[in-house]
Amino acid sequence: MLLQLKNIQKRFGGVVALRNGSLDVNAGEVHLLMGENGAGKSTLMKIVAGMLERDGGEMLWQGQGVHLHNPVEAASHGIAMVHQESLLAPHLTVAENIFLGREPRLPLGWVNRGEVIQRAARLIEDHHFPLKAEWRVEKLSPAGKQMVEICRAIQQGSSLLIFDEPTSSLSESETQEVFHIVRGLRDRNVGVIYITHRLEELRAIGDRVTVLRDGETVHSGSMSEVTTDQIIRHMVGRELTSIYSREPVQPGEEVLQVEHLTREPVLKDISFCLRAGEITGMAGLIGAGRTELCRAIFGLDPIDRGTIRIAGKPVHIRSPRDAVAQGLALIPEDRQRTGLATALPISYNLTLASLGSVSRFGILDHTAERKIAAEYTARLRIRAESSKQRAGRLSGGNQQKVAIAKWLVRGARIFLFDEPTRGIDVGAKVEVFQVMDELARGGAAILMVSSEMTELLQVADRILVMRQGRISGELPGRTTPEQIMRCAAFEVSAATTEEHPE
Amino acid sequence: MIQRLLPFLTLIALFIILAIASPNFLTYTNLSSVARQTAVINIMALGMTMIIISGGIDLSVGSILALSGLLGTMTMEKHGIALGMVVGIVTGTACGFANGTLTTSLRINPFIVTLGTMGIFRGMALIISKGLPVHEIPPAFSYLGEGTLLHVPFVLWILLLCAVVIHVLLEHTRLGRYAFSIGSNPEAAYYAGVPVRFHTTAVYAIAGLLTGLAGMTEASRLMTGQPTGGQGYELTAIAAVVIGGGSLRGGEGSVLGTLVGAFIMGLLANGSDLLGTNPYWQQVIIGGVIILAVSFDELRKRRMSS
Ligand SMILES: Nc1ncnc2c1ncn2[C@@H]1O[C@H](COP(=O)(O)OP(=O)(O)OP(=O)(O)O)[C@@H](O)[C@H]1O
Ligand SMILES: [Mg+2]
Repeated sequence: MLLQLKNIQKRFGGVVALRNGSLDVNAGEVHLLMGENGAGKSTLMKIVAGMLERDGGEMLWQGQGVHLHNPVEAASHGIAMVHQESLLAPHLTVAENIFLGREPRLPLGWVNRGEVIQRAARLIEDHHFPLKAEWRVEKLSPAGKQMVEICRAIQQGSSLLIFDEPTSSLSESETQEVFHIVRGLRDRNVGVIYITHRLEELRAIGDRVTVLRDGETVHSGSMSEVTTDQIIRHMVGRELTSIYSREPVQPGEEVLQVEHLTREPVLKDISFCLRAGEITGMAGLIGAGRTELCRAIFGLDPIDRGTIRIAGKPVHIRSPRDAVAQGLALIPEDRQRTGLATALPISYNLTLASLGSVSRFGILDHTAERKIAAEYTARLRIRAESSKQRAGRLSGGNQQKVAIAKWLVRGARIFLFDEPTRGIDVGAKVEVFQVMDELARGGAAILMVSSEMTELLQVADRILVMRQGRISGELPGRTTPEQIMRCAAFEVSAATTEEHPE
Repeated sequence: MIQRLLPFLTLIALFIILAIASPNFLTYTNLSSVARQTAVINIMALGMTMIIISGGIDLSVGSILALSGLLGTMTMEKHGIALGMVVGIVTGTACGFANGTLTTSLRINPFIVTLGTMGIFRGMALIISKGLPVHEIPPAFSYLGEGTLLHVPFVLWILLLCAVVIHVLLEHTRLGRYAFSIGSNPEAAYYAGVPVRFHTTAVYAIAGLLTGLAGMTEASRLMTGQPTGGQGYELTAIAAVVIGGGSLRGGEGSVLGTLVGAFIMGLLANGSDLLGTNPYWQQVIIGGVIILAVSFDELRKRRMSS
């Protein structure tokens, strides 16, 4: 037995994050850790990785009781963690981040820069990640940052590796690469703990599974003995179907028309339209330009050429304000950076994009605001003490829910959802789909960018596929993953040498 | 909760200690002089609270105070008190507006911008006055700084009014909410379609207005328009905000906290005077208190979030 956690407890002020966390991991196994948003998964893992101290309970490492006080101590036992939120130094390069704190040294304490870059480049190449060792981390998309986190952890961990939602912003091929890495680790007899909200990943790599609910271990056992539905039932403590399927709607008129939109070098001659009542999916690999397209439409990035029409009229959108005035809403991909004011209460965050509707003549209506906050925290099951709690103190998935809800609160005619379900649990995913469906039925046009093919197939009426800055295909909603892959795929080498990930 | 009340408890403790230690403390004369002294800083600090909440800083308020006091009193010499007041307050507002416009349109850090305007505004005051203070002021003007209404110093009423207005502005209006969100995460505010530039500029302009009013109050108290006045006030104002729980990272701060912070600073100064502490030591004590207060606050935040 590599690691045993018995009855771990942890509280934050008045909030009990863990009341009875138990888990044991063998060397050479992939152990899944499952649970709803806010169940305590990250907290438990941060205790193992020495980032938080436990309040009670026991941790045995190779049979010995240990108490890890900081990540350096954990690293000395060969424990490393891929974090849910990016904990990278934004102003440093990819290579410097991978080796931060463990740089190869020259005499007199000089850092051997050449070797840092070389070794990082080799690591990146080994895993076919579309990254370059010299890139600065702040320029990377969430997917890029996640890949750097993964490289750093495999560089450091030798006995136990913890992956906290490593694939939440990766697309199919990068996810496959992560699986490849995980299997390689298992073959080298390393223990792996793997947290995910993507159900289709469970069978692909899990050997055993532990389920946390409300800070308590409610199930632990081999993957071969449980069905996915049983795992979900353990997670949520009630019956729930994860299968969502949308009744298609007769689409209305074209609300948004994009013609020959170009922004060198990421967007090339893009034309498509969105129709009222329709959910248009958008698939593609990381770096295909999907996020750039949303940003360009929303006025965050300038465009070189092309026209955008809303309800038939050409519009010039130069800033998010213009976009909002035109009835657009963007649910951005990088929600931690661009979506959440962590120091402010949840309710402030929820109404930030729609203060117009909870105020009159500039005076806020606190009652209306509380009502909205109550409605959406309940709907998306945001786990918080109260809506006055600071958003930064929520679990990762609950922060995502707040950021998404902020845009759902605001009425708009055209919604651009960039990876709307990233990091949120099964129940909440279905809720988000339902809200999207309601919006569409109310006459909104929706573009849904997603790297999860299953959900595109469940929700979208029509799927556009992007490849290397162009729209490479349009498929009906009831298509197959293979079809999408065929449209999206391109030579990986081209991506690594030419393109910056999104 | 206890820690959140810490500034408040400190204020009360300070009050009690001074009441016991010095027989002259609890007298009407002394208390009203403390109130008058603190009021000027306090009115400025209210504006600074808004700026700090929105993630900015204003180092030029001391210079704005001098410039608006000077222009106000100069006008008063010829055109009477009312117009003088207006000119003083408009001057302050214009200076604040300039600060806001410069930071938002040049996208320069407000620390740098206001470091620059601190010199510019001060220089303008010195050029206009040729370095000489204004003395010919209508005697009735002294009511603003020295008069009383219902046995309470008139400035305290003004302070109270300003505090209520700014509190309402921050907690109950869209402008205030936007200030908080711009300070906490400017990018999130921008993505949400918040008119970030407009509101940032508005915040600086409002702070300028309050500084202009503080400038007139100061001029009335001293019955001169001093081009060299208000030096170092910016730091006292910032300290008051920070002691009262404001965070220089933005997104945090409150009117009540700032009032308490300013009164703590005021009592410390008054206490050292009464107890005959060497004025050089006064500075050391006040500096120490600032560091102590902020480190307690940081400790509280870290404990809550780790
Ligand atoms: N720094 C903190 N301060 C206060 N409460 C916290 C803090 N971090 C986590 N919590 C609370 O502890 C609980 C467990 O959080 P944790 O991050 O472990 O959840 P999780 O299982 O990882 O969820 P997710 O799937 O959303 O990542 C949550 O209710 C959360 O609100
Ligand atoms: Mg988590």
